[in-house]
Amino acid sequence: MKGIIKNKVAYLVFLLPALLFYLFAVFYPIIDSIRLSFVSWGGIGPQKYVGFDNYIRLFSDSVMWESFFNNLVYVVIVVSMQLLIGLLFAVLLTYMQKNVTIVKTLYYIPCIITTVAVGQMFRSMYATQPMGLFNIVLSALGLGDLVRSWLADVDTVLVAVSLPEGWRFTGMYMVIYYAALISIDTEVSEAAIIDGASKWKTLWKIKLPMIKPVILLTLTMCITGALRGFDIPYLLTNGGPGNASELMSTYMYKQAFSSLQFGYGSAIAVFIIVESIIAVIILRLVGRRGEK
Amino acid sequence: MRDNEVYKKLAILKKVVFAIVIILFLLIQVYPVFWVFMASLKPTVELSASPFSLPSAPTFENFIKVIKEGKIWGYMINSVKVTGGSLILIMALSSMAGYALSKFVSRFNNALYSFFTFGIMIPVQITLIPLFIFYSRMDILNTSFSLILPQVGFALPLSIMMFVSFFTFVPNELIEAATIDGCTPYGIFVKIILPLAKNTFVTIASMYSILIWNDFIFANTFISKDSAKTVAMGLKDYVGAFGNVDWGLTFAAITISILPPMIVYFALNKHVTAGMSAGAVKG
Repeated sequence: MKGIIKNKVAYLVFLLPALLFYLFAVFYPIIDSIRLSFVSWGGIGPQKYVGFDNYIRLFSDSVMWESFFNNLVYVVIVVSMQLLIGLLFAVLLTYMQKNVTIVKTLYYIPCIITTVAVGQMFRSMYATQPMGLFNIVLSALGLGDLVRSWLADVDTVLVAVSLPEGWRFTGMYMVIYYAALISIDTEVSEAAIIDGASKWKTLWKIKLPMIKPVILLTLTMCITGALRGFDIPYLLTNGGPGNASELMSTYMYKQAFSSLQFGYGSAIAVFIIVESIIAVIILRLVGRRGEK
Repeated sequence: MRDNEVYKKLAILKKVVFAIVIILFLLIQVYPVFWVFMASLKPTVELSASPFSLPSAPTFENFIKVIKEGKIWGYMINSVKVTGGSLILIMALSSMAGYALSKFVSRFNNALYSFFTFGIMIPVQITLIPLFIFYSRMDILNTSFSLILPQVGFALPLSIMMFVSFFTFVPNELIEAATIDGCTPYGIFVKIILPLAKNTFVTIASMYSILIWNDFIFANTFISKDSAKTVAMGLKDYVGAFGNVDWGLTFAAITISILPPMIVYFALNKHVTAGMSAGAVKG
């Protein structure tokens, strides 16, 4: 970034408003969360400094661990739906000659709908009274035994709250991959085909490796996004029944805003950030090793 | 000859299977939304009896009830205030900061740029507790500002990134020439930079208008009074308000609430997808 204007006053006039907003809305809360994670406070009265107590409690809290492992399952489901299905359909679209734009436009619709509406839609689809779409389709396929109230069953609820989130962004990742795939220089893949490579081979050996940087970036975004997953599980079950669909964020939210344990809630929030940063670092390392 | 025919048939079969797969997935992606539209046109009785048929006699009964009940207008107005206020601030602040970071001489530019873009990685959940505490001390929970502040803060990193990457393509010679003609840095920004950046403005505005309109987590945390609720929260509220969920009304409310983002999306499709893709890829 090589600038040219040398006016210090104007520089500050243009920069400061954004900087102040950003400092206050994003940076101050990070610092304050870290500070709060070392206190015990119920919303009124003085804040009591408790050292690492909140973190010690965090690591010995069984519900916390349950949320952590639930969250991992949630990440796996969401990421595999968004990226694998997204990639599959992106590839399929590259073989389409007509109507690509309209198909792309329609596939994308779910991610411009508010999570509250998505939640309500899925709630009605999972229901048994009246029979929701899922159960009706299952009955029609002769799988009537599987009909159940998906959100009330401890065994199915975690999958049930993960699916809507996966569904929501599949179209977006498809559009990203499609853009990456069609921007590949066609000469390379054409040369491969002339050399006798099958379409299948060209895809695996040439096209996918060429969009690997995009795949790694989307994987990072997708994983960190799912690690902080909140809206849909919160709206559909609020972590229940029991803690069967509790995720880290919903647990943090409950601790802070239902139990009014702002200190402990902040410790969980800090944990979520650290976890996301670790995930990013691991993925970057994996990416770099792959490049060698 | 026969081989050739078999080959032809296979090719057709392939095409058909391909089309079926594409359409099946299209159904999965679009049908739930389409179904909500259809369901909102059915009386609640018909909805529970035959939920998946087309409405036998489409009725706007649900819409009329939702509109008469009246709350949804208040929610919509609140959403418009929050979305509009945030958009104005996002566009003003990020274009100015982008201009400062890309067209001014300063040894802090690179560090500041990294500092801003670092924000893309930060989960919004981290702000909930500190801002909630701050707002309740200042007594500004349940205001539009309580939502605008974090919305703007979290939109700045990506918006600044987009403006910086656009402005670096604006040749410095242009600015030099304007300076020689007696233009101040402010004049250059208003007369030269802003008009050039029209596309970036549209991309950012279209993407964030949808994202902010749809926000749930900030609104759910900082808003508790009916008078300050946004339309996304209103949908959740509807369900409780009728005891047993009145799906007909809920679907009508959903339909009304998703119309504005739909309109923005279909009008500015390219910009929306470009912006969101950038958001997902540039982390």
